[in-house]
Amino acid sequence: MTDSVPSAGADQAAPAAASAPVPGLSANAAALTAVALAVQVVEMTKRFPGVVANDCVSFEAAEGEVHALLGENGAGKTTLCNLLMGLYRPDAGKLFVGGRAVRFHSPKDAQDAGIFMVHQHLRLVESMTVAENVVLGWSPSRQFRFSPGKVEKVVAEASERFQMPVDPRARIWQLSLGERQRVEILKALYRGAKVLILDEPTTVLTPQEADQLFSSVRDMTAEGRTVIFISHKLPEVLAVADRVTILRQGRSITTVPTAGTDADHLAGLMVGHEVSLEAAAKLAEEAGPVVLELAGVSARGDLGAEALKDVTLEVRAGEILGIAGVAGNGQRELAEVITGLRETTAGSISLGGSRLPAGDPRAAIDLGIAYVPEDRMGTGISPNLSIAENLMLKSYRRKAMRSGPVLSSRKAIANAKVAIERFDIRAPGPRTLIRQLSGGNIQKVLLARELSSEPRVLVAASPTRGLDVGATQYVRRTLSETAKSGVAVMMVSEDLDEVLELSDRIAVFYNGRVVGVVEAADANRQQIGLMMAGAS
Amino acid sequence: MTGPLRIERRLDTPKWLKVAVPLASLLLAAILAGILLASTGHNPISTYHQMYSAAVTAPGGLTSTFVYATPMLFTGLCAAFAFRMRTWNIGGEGQLYMGAVGAAAVGLCLGDWPRPLLIIAMILGGALSGTVWAAIPALLRAYLRTNEILTSLMLNYVAGFFMYYLIYDSTSYWRDLSSPGASVFPTGKTLGPNATWPGINIGSFTLPMGFVLGIGLAVGLLVLIQKTRYGFEMRVMGDSPNAANYSGIRTKRKIVSVMAISGGIAGIAGSSQIGDFGHVLDPRGLEQAQYGYTGIVVAALALYNPLAVVLVSLLIGGLTNAGFALEGPSFPTGLVGTMEGIILFTVLGGEILARYRIGIRRRAVPAASAAQLTTGGVAS
Amino acid sequence: MNSNIVLAVVVSAIAFGTPLVLAGLGELLAERSGVLNLGVEGMMLMGAVTAFFVSQKLHVATALALLLAVLASMVAGAAMAFIHAFLSITIRVNQIVSGLAITIFAGIIGLSSYLGQVWNIGGIAGRHSFNNVNLFGLKHLPILGPLIFDQDAFVYASWVLVIAVMYYLYRTRPGLYLRAVGENPAAADAMGINVIAYRYVHTLIGGALAGLGGAYFTLALAPFWTDGLTAGVGWIAIALVIFAFWRPDLLVLGAYLFGAFSALGPTLQTRHITVLPSEFYSALPFLMTVIALAAASTSWANRRIGTPASLGIPYTREEG
Repeated sequence: MTDSVPSAGADQAAPAAASAPVPGLSANAAALTAVALAVQVVEMTKRFPGVVANDCVSFEAAEGEVHALLGENGAGKTTLCNLLMGLYRPDAGKLFVGGRAVRFHSPKDAQDAGIFMVHQHLRLVESMTVAENVVLGWSPSRQFRFSPGKVEKVVAEASERFQMPVDPRARIWQLSLGERQRVEILKALYRGAKVLILDEPTTVLTPQEADQLFSSVRDMTAEGRTVIFISHKLPEVLAVADRVTILRQGRSITTVPTAGTDADHLAGLMVGHEVSLEAAAKLAEEAGPVVLELAGVSARGDLGAEALKDVTLEVRAGEILGIAGVAGNGQRELAEVITGLRETTAGSISLGGSRLPAGDPRAAIDLGIAYVPEDRMGTGISPNLSIAENLMLKSYRRKAMRSGPVLSSRKAIANAKVAIERFDIRAPGPRTLIRQLSGGNIQKVLLARELSSEPRVLVAASPTRGLDVGATQYVRRTLSETAKSGVAVMMVSEDLDEVLELSDRIAVFYNGRVVGVVEAADANRQQIGLMMAGAS
Repeated sequence: MTGPLRIERRLDTPKWLKVAVPLASLLLAAILAGILLASTGHNPISTYHQMYSAAVTAPGGLTSTFVYATPMLFTGLCAAFAFRMRTWNIGGEGQLYMGAVGAAAVGLCLGDWPRPLLIIAMILGGALSGTVWAAIPALLRAYLRTNEILTSLMLNYVAGFFMYYLIYDSTSYWRDLSSPGASVFPTGKTLGPNATWPGINIGSFTLPMGFVLGIGLAVGLLVLIQKTRYGFEMRVMGDSPNAANYSGIRTKRKIVSVMAISGGIAGIAGSSQIGDFGHVLDPRGLEQAQYGYTGIVVAALALYNPLAVVLVSLLIGGLTNAGFALEGPSFPTGLVGTMEGIILFTVLGGEILARYRIGIRRRAVPAASAAQLTTGGVAS
Repeated sequence: MNSNIVLAVVVSAIAFGTPLVLAGLGELLAERSGVLNLGVEGMMLMGAVTAFFVSQKLHVATALALLLAVLASMVAGAAMAFIHAFLSITIRVNQIVSGLAITIFAGIIGLSSYLGQVWNIGGIAGRHSFNNVNLFGLKHLPILGPLIFDQDAFVYASWVLVIAVMYYLYRTRPGLYLRAVGENPAAADAMGINVIAYRYVHTLIGGALAGLGGAYFTLALAPFWTDGLTAGVGWIAIALVIFAFWRPDLLVLGAYLFGAFSALGPTLQTRHITVLPSEFYSALPFLMTVIALAAASTSWANRRIGTPASLGIPYTREEG
């Protein structure tokens, strides 16, 4: 039996009851009773320690529909999709696929039901061909033999059918990111995907590739397949989706057809109109001279695509510049080029007038740039070393830490004790291994270390992510005080409320560019939400 | 990982466990080896007793133990130093050979220097040869990211052939071309009396100078690792290469220098072979002994701690000594390697118990944990 | 050049190369799954001693004795490989260390010698051995005759195995999955391939083939047993796999090349033709490998002919 790409409808018994009313049907879906529902999520809840990622979420997608899930950071989009594809199990709620109630225990169950997800991080073997990657792990007829020629033909056939041009004999490393994504989609179609979930698919694509993707999506749905499209980008959602469900803070707000709405309306739904309960807009204080300057900076991301495009920014002494934006729009790369952890492909970075050499962490440290990274455990600390040793991770080179030719552990311990006291770090002692501390205390160690070097610039990325309320408040207070003492602070955060509360100015990142810089006093959520979603 | 065993890292290893586990492992090894002995018609207790006396109490026994232990001490330090930082220098064997070649050259060439100076020169000559030999895989790894396991392994063979060439196949400086037996069976030139390293006599037991040097080196390395900037950088790099890069450590230079030092230490093993024992370049003997590879095993048993390497080298040295000394129909030499292997299995397996908690996995329920949130797995 | 020299060298090359091919293919499969096995020498010796023991002590017809001996050698090799696999895959001990542990445990001063002595099979002539087979009766053909049609079963088996392994790697599903496991275990895992199982199985196969390679010494080449009979061939097999860049076709060529180079030196010498020292020829393949590895590290080359990316790295699934 040959492997041919199964078409959407011709599989095992599609239940005739697909269009019968299902308990818990929402108002929207009731209107679509006549249409077959591919997927229906009813009041699904998923909790993690400390947060409710999905709170009683409901939505449904019809067969042949392109359905977008729109929301900003923390809205619950990815969790919802992980539930759909069987990676997580819901704490409450029901899931119906093709009208049948289902319970997924693993991704394989979801795949058997025809639900496939194309992740942002592609799972492809670079040295192998497209055809080999497509058939990897999949032998429906328990085939032992592998004939490259036959497989390539099947893949070529599929690629033509779905208007996703890709050479089955090409090796993955030869392909562009857009082409690689096509291979991932082909993989799903080859395995009989009826519902395809695309997670922020245009992040690494050029505009042309994005258009090509949308046209392929339309071809797929023309055959009766369903595409669920996760995005935070309003222009795309309006262009490609039939309907869009807006998620905010774990809840499903509403579902609207894209034909009858516009960017403003959606943005408003996306970010909400609630006034932040925290302190009102900051008083515009006198900011000092410009300390950090980026001029026309471009850089590549890990996958080779351009992550920063011609970025020009400045940060002044004494201010907090908040970097707002949905994760993945270049903010991480921004922090990395400033701190020397990433090379630039164009532009320059200067500190107080002197040029910062690109890609050299030590130069950045020596010039007075401090960095509290997003990845605390993996980059910011040495997990199996003590608190005292981690505190001197950057200062060990200084004379002050030495006594004679050796590192003075006496000084390190004394130093550590001061920091532990000042920053209220809860730990048995300076010699404790740092990985035994809680997340909040680890972050305090990081702050203590970075601030002790009396930096001129502090870059803090996602500084309060994963921390409890007390630690969060402490960190925010510390950042404010640091700025007040004259340091130029750049804070990257996915939490818009945090950005609004702490920043003096806010720069919004979308697609690797700065799409707007606003004074905090003048900022409102709606406007920033629009910018974050690329619609202004 | 899949499977019925669930292995989680312990948050903190209690101190008593760190000592108890290796000891328990050794005991288990003795028991397992005893079972093997008993099942093949040997009495375990008397065998162990024989081995102990051959290695320790018999006349010349302790001295022989140290003779075997000395090169393993150096090659053990070589591997321990490099492996700590996750630079896998398995070229200790070849670096030892080159060290021996270098030290022999120095010893022959400068043979009429005063003894203390000559010895220092031999040490340096061996160290330099080993360093240069290790620098090749080191540079390739640092600047081209070539796998150093593969390159350092290949260079072992090359060094071996080079050594063979010098003595068995050429009229090189190292070869003895004059003495009567030389034309019949190729040997190296014997080094002069000034090149003989002094031993320290304690009663009937002679402590080789090389071993004392090795102890000093072990202490020095420990100080380097724990107390200096250089060692601090090593420890950070071995723990988290990302953190090392982030903190401004020059990682490429570090890789080269650590592997170079490691190679130099193995080179001194070669010097010691020439100076302490042998006094002649003996390729066949060195190749059969496989001190370089044994050193890796010694380092692993010592959990890469330099002071522990001293002790472990004595253990393995004693075992090896006993094996050769007692060789005969009632005591097969094969017992040595078998016991070493069993010790390795039990200690390595046991070390996991100390570092990790092993449980039986109940039916797995995939659930995200709080760790996801702190390490960047955003629920959005 | 004298055709006698060529013939002599080629004959030696095949004799030297056959255990290399067998053990090398095993190591190739193990490394393709991402597991570095430095215990090949020990596994070969265990195979050798076990095979000899079975063929000596079993009072049955020659054919049966040889068959059982061959099987025993493969079981012995696989048993050693199991220890290595368990330590390095499940317990996640450093693969270098666990492989060396096997070489020490089973090698010239280890279990193989121990058993050799306990079984009392040292230094006596083998009772059964593989003789040359006159394949299709063509052994009298000029040149090709002695080379191709007058070899023993091991040699033919090694040729068959090379083709089998090539077919396996490039024309079967399991072979495709194996290559994926070695290149990108995370991707393979995501596609539902059981990485751990693949590593275990191929490490065991590697051990079995190493044992078979060892059996060549005691059942065909020698045939007798003495401590450390394989004299470092296991180590050369490890180097050979790297030299051949994990490709079976290059492996068999390399095996005979290594054999030829080892034989070339002494052969030339006895005929008083010394241009370069024989050790130079012997060392040359290893030097070439280092250069090739360095050249292959550039990303251009690495994508085309590189090392299995996960070689030496234990695999853990990122939880969550």
